[in-house]
Formats: sequence, C-alpha cells, structure tokens
Amino acid sequence: MNRSKSQIPIREYVTKKLIAVGADASIREAARRMVQFDISSVVIGNNDSVVGFLTDADLKSRVVAAGLDASRPVSDIMTTDLITADIDAAVEEVMELMARHRIKHVLVTEQDEIIGIMTLRDLVNIERQKLETFIARE
Amino acid sequence: MRILHFSDTHVGSERYFEEKRLLEVIDTINTGKFDLAIHTGDITDEGQRDEYERAKAFIDAITTPLIVLPGNHDGRSGGLALFEQYIGPSDGYRLVGDALVVFASSIIADSNAGRIGRVRFDLLKDAIYDHASMSIKIFCTHHHILPVPSSGRERNVLENAGDILDLIVNSDVDLVLMGHRHFPNVHRMERTVFINAGTASSSKTRYGDVQSHNEITIDRRRRRVSTIRSDGRRDDVDVPKRSRTVFTSFGARVLRIVHMANSFISESRLFLETRFQNALESIRELEADVVVHCGGVVAEGTQADYERAVELLGEIDPPLVVSPSGRDMNYLGYELFARSFGSVDPSYETDRVYLQGVASFQYDSTTGVVGRTGRARVFEQLRDVEQEFTGIFLHHNLVPVPHSRNKALLEDAGDFLRELVDSKVDIALTGTSSHPHAAQVGSTVISNAGSVSSIYQRSAYGNSFNLVDVYEKAIAVSEISSMWGSRRLLGMWERRSQR
Repeated sequence: MNRSKSQIPIREYVTKKLIAVGADASIREAARRMVQFDISSVVIGNNDSVVGFLTDADLKSRVVAAGLDASRPVSDIMTTDLITADIDAAVEEVMELMARHRIKHVLVTEQDEIIGIMTLRDLVNIERQKLETFIARE
Repeated sequence: MRILHFSDTHVGSERYFEEKRLLEVIDTINTGKFDLAIHTGDITDEGQRDEYERAKAFIDAITTPLIVLPGNHDGRSGGLALFEQYIGPSDGYRLVGDALVVFASSIIADSNAGRIGRVRFDLLKDAIYDHASMSIKIFCTHHHILPVPSSGRERNVLENAGDILDLIVNSDVDLVLMGHRHFPNVHRMERTVFINAGTASSSKTRYGDVQSHNEITIDRRRRRVSTIRSDGRRDDVDVPKRSRTVFTSFGARVLRIVHMANSFISESRLFLETRFQNALESIRELEADVVVHCGGVVAEGTQADYERAVELLGEIDPPLVVSPSGRDMNYLGYELFARSFGSVDPSYETDRVYLQGVASFQYDSTTGVVGRTGRARVFEQLRDVEQEFTGIFLHHNLVPVPHSRNKALLEDAGDFLRELVDSKVDIALTGTSSHPHAAQVGSTVISNAGSVSSIYQRSAYGNSFNLVDVYEKAIAVSEISSMWGSRRLLGMWERRSQR
C-alpha cells in the first residue's frame, strides 16, 4: 500500500528529547538555554514533568516588547495551557493542529506524558529526505 | 508476555543437526507457559524437500502459537517456495495479546547475504503504522542488524541495515529478534533491544559455545532476556523500557568536541572549499576543546593534497587529532600522513578526558579492520585510564548508518562493539558513510559524522560536522551545517556511568 506522508504517524519524526529549565529559573536563564543549544523553544519542567513552554516569539512579545525584567521567573511568562499531540497521531492531524492554533511547536505525549516535541520545521523536513534509500526493489 | 526465541535449527544436516537438542527445546516451548515461540530462520540446512518434511513434523509438535521465518539456508536450492508450502508465509505480522509481531524475510535466494528491499520495507512500515497504538512492538528477521560478537568477519549484516535500524529505533520497536550468527547476543540501542539467538540444535557453534535459546519476558515496564544454554548455563539481561526525555539540569560543560570527517581537501572538484572555510569559521566560534577528524582528510594521499590539508587544518585553533581512512593512506599517504599529522593512533588527554584514536584502515582498501590483537591493546589501555570521560575515535562504522549500503562497517565490528559497550566507554566517534547519525548502545554514545566538505555526501541537510557537548549530567550530539552553521540535535543522553 502506498501511504502518503501526511498519513504516517509522527512517532518516528518526533524529537524524543526535551531541553528544559526548572520552573524556578529566570527568563534570562531560559533564554540562555535556548542560545546554548540553538533551539527555538524551551520546556519548563519540574523533575521529569513538564509544566510550561516558551518560544522565541514569546520572548519577543512577552519580554522584550513588553519591557519586562529578564530576571523575573520564567513561570511568569511561560505558556501553561499546553497544546499537545499524541505520538501516534498522523502527520496531517498535527499540521491541522498547528494551523488551527497558529503555532509552530507542538509538544508530544505518550500515554499522556509529555515526552517530545515536533516543530513546523520537522514537518517540512519529512518532505526533504525519504526514510529509506532505494537499495533494491526485492 | 513470554516468548521463546530459537533459531538456526538446521534440520537435515547429517553432520551438524542434533535432533535431541531440538526435541528438548520443543519440550520447553510446550511446557514452559509461553505466549509465543519465534524461530528466526535456517529451520532447514539446504532448503531441500525432505528437510522441509522433517522440519514440518517437528513444528507440528509445537502446541504454542509459533512464527517461523526463513533464513539463508532455507532459501538455498529454490527452497523459499518450499518454505511457504511447508512452513507458512515468509513475511507478515501477527497480533498476540497487546503485541504486534512483524516478521520479514531478509533472504536473497542462493546467497548468504541479507536484504530487506523496497517492497518488503514498505510492508514493514505499513504493519508498524497500521498498529501504531499496540503497546508492544516486535520485529523479527534472520540476518543481524547490529553486529554480533564472536562471529568472525562482518560479512552478512543486512545490506540496508542502516535504514532498517533507523525505522526500528525511530518507531520505538521494543524487541528485534534475529539469528544467523549462531551466537547469542543482546544489545540495547535507544529504546530497542536487539536480540540474537544462538543455534538451538546445530553442533556448528562458534568459539566453542554450545546450543542455546532465549526466553524473553516483556510487559509495559520491563524487558528481560534470558539466554539458556544446553549445558544449563543461564544469562539474564534486564533492559529498562524508558530513558530520560526531559533534560532540566546539565551541570558544567566538561568537554566540547568538534567531530568531523571527509573533508576531502584537494584542488579537485571533490573538495567544496566554501563549505570547508565556513565550517572553519563555525569551529572558531564554537571554541571547542578538541577537534577530532575521523578520516578522509584529503581526497587522495598525494603530496599536493597533504600540503593543502596542512595549510587549511593549521588554521584550527584547538588541538587537532586525526584518525586516517584508507583514502588518506593511499599512494604515498602513509608517509605523508605521519609527516603532516603524526601517529595514526593519536590520543587526546586532559585531567578529566581521555580519547584514543584507533587506526582502522587497510592500505589500498576501503574495508576497515582493527583485529584481535589491536582490539585487545585498545581496550586494555582504556581499562587503565583514570579520567572520568573516555572515548575512542576511528574512521569505520561500528553500527550501520542510514541511507547507505552497509559496506563501511568495521570488519570486526561485532567484537569491537561488544567490548566497547562492556567497557562502558562513554563515546565512540566514527566518520564514514557520509551521513550524520548518533545513537546510544548500552551506555556508549556512538556519533558518526557526515561529510564536512566533500561532494560525496548523503544527507538532505547537506554537508556538516558534529558537535559533541559533554556536561556533568548529560551528553548532547548535534549536527552543524558546514555552509550555514545552523544546528540540529541528533541525540541527548543522561550521563550515568561516571567513574
């Protein structure tokens, strides 16, 4: 069966590692972690559980433009109403979710626990390289 | 769920088949309260009709649900048609309890090599995608996907093991069951456990071993593999199901490695100089502690190429250590390398870090080998090291790399990988196949660098090098685009085995 890429579950494209700062970290510490790993978003966590989320765009609008002091706790500005997709959701469902909420990052859950992230760029990359090389037809 | 995994019974071999052993295993299957028995191929010895008739009588005596898949011996003499007639389908899947069990033939008729070509690869993907929500996923094939120790030279790993491995690991398959090498072995790569069975009833064992089978227990929380040998010995391996996914605390950075390969420095069109120069610019900005170049420094081992390489690599500020490839050594390369970069087995050492180069090239050949004596020396040396972080670096691959035909594995990768994992070496850096990749096997991170500036590269993301950041509590491996300097995380792991 030839299945289009949009019908594939996202599981194999999800980044199953989340870079985080603690909930007691400052906004500046969160920004520094994003710089440290050259990433466009960061998770805010307590031990292994995720309590919030912050993106480049949030830093721009909620901190710089709003003139907020970067030494304040990141919990003041993080998004707590998290938009998530199940790890077995299809690519097209996640695309639709991003479009509906106008977001470029979706946190991914497995058995209701947040374990990964999928970005718009990851979705674009699915088109970039096939999963497998045509080594032989057989 | 309990599974009995047996393999390579070779029914019909006059010299090697031991019927008594097979009957013992069948008795264990029938009395041991297993949910499923899986035979991972080579049920017959030569794929002949009389062998299939005998084999069928044996499996008819098994009262537990059974999956049998073909091995290279079953495909001899046109035996695959008989396999389907006497045993059953050679590809497919079965739902057992809350487990999906996918099995795929890796057989190339009349060949000992293995391959899961495009059509079968699609079947495999569809089975996995269609049953994404099954809580346990198991994949079975005859040929080994990760190199197996004590099995001689690595000639018959699946030709496209890299792509299969990528699919399996990224799809979070729980267990992969294989046979072929007549030697039992268990490795964990990321969340997946790779299990090879020994031979259940052939006296053709390896390294003086005896026959064996595996008994596997898997549920939502734990995975246990017990290898039961015919002399009564038993080895249990417990593999945790989950690894850390949320990284909050990293601690101080202990080490930053720029890990690069395949520069192909030359005046030829093979060398993309702008990418190389841009990569040098990124390397300067990254302020690494050490730059490790895993072979393919020059396009050819000629005077002109080496002169250019010394000039360009001389611009790198941190200490540079180079492990050569066959290409670097060709023609006069052997002399030129020593003059330009020193020892073929360089090392990098600080108070906290020890990295050892391991020359894996052979002169005028692309095949890599370290060999028994060389290997013993490397691991002996690493055992005596007192630093908290240890690593090795070499040109050839230790595990298959996606998007490449599997021909760049070290010839003795099975033994090398086993020792590497058992010695709890923290990292192995390799540099061939021109596709970046990073994964953890046991507690060892294996990072393969793509090509930094050669036209020969296989990644849709373009030429790149890897950045390895070692923190007190974690290791992160990223790919850095040679052209743009942008970063993409390849993997991140908790550091557990601090000395």
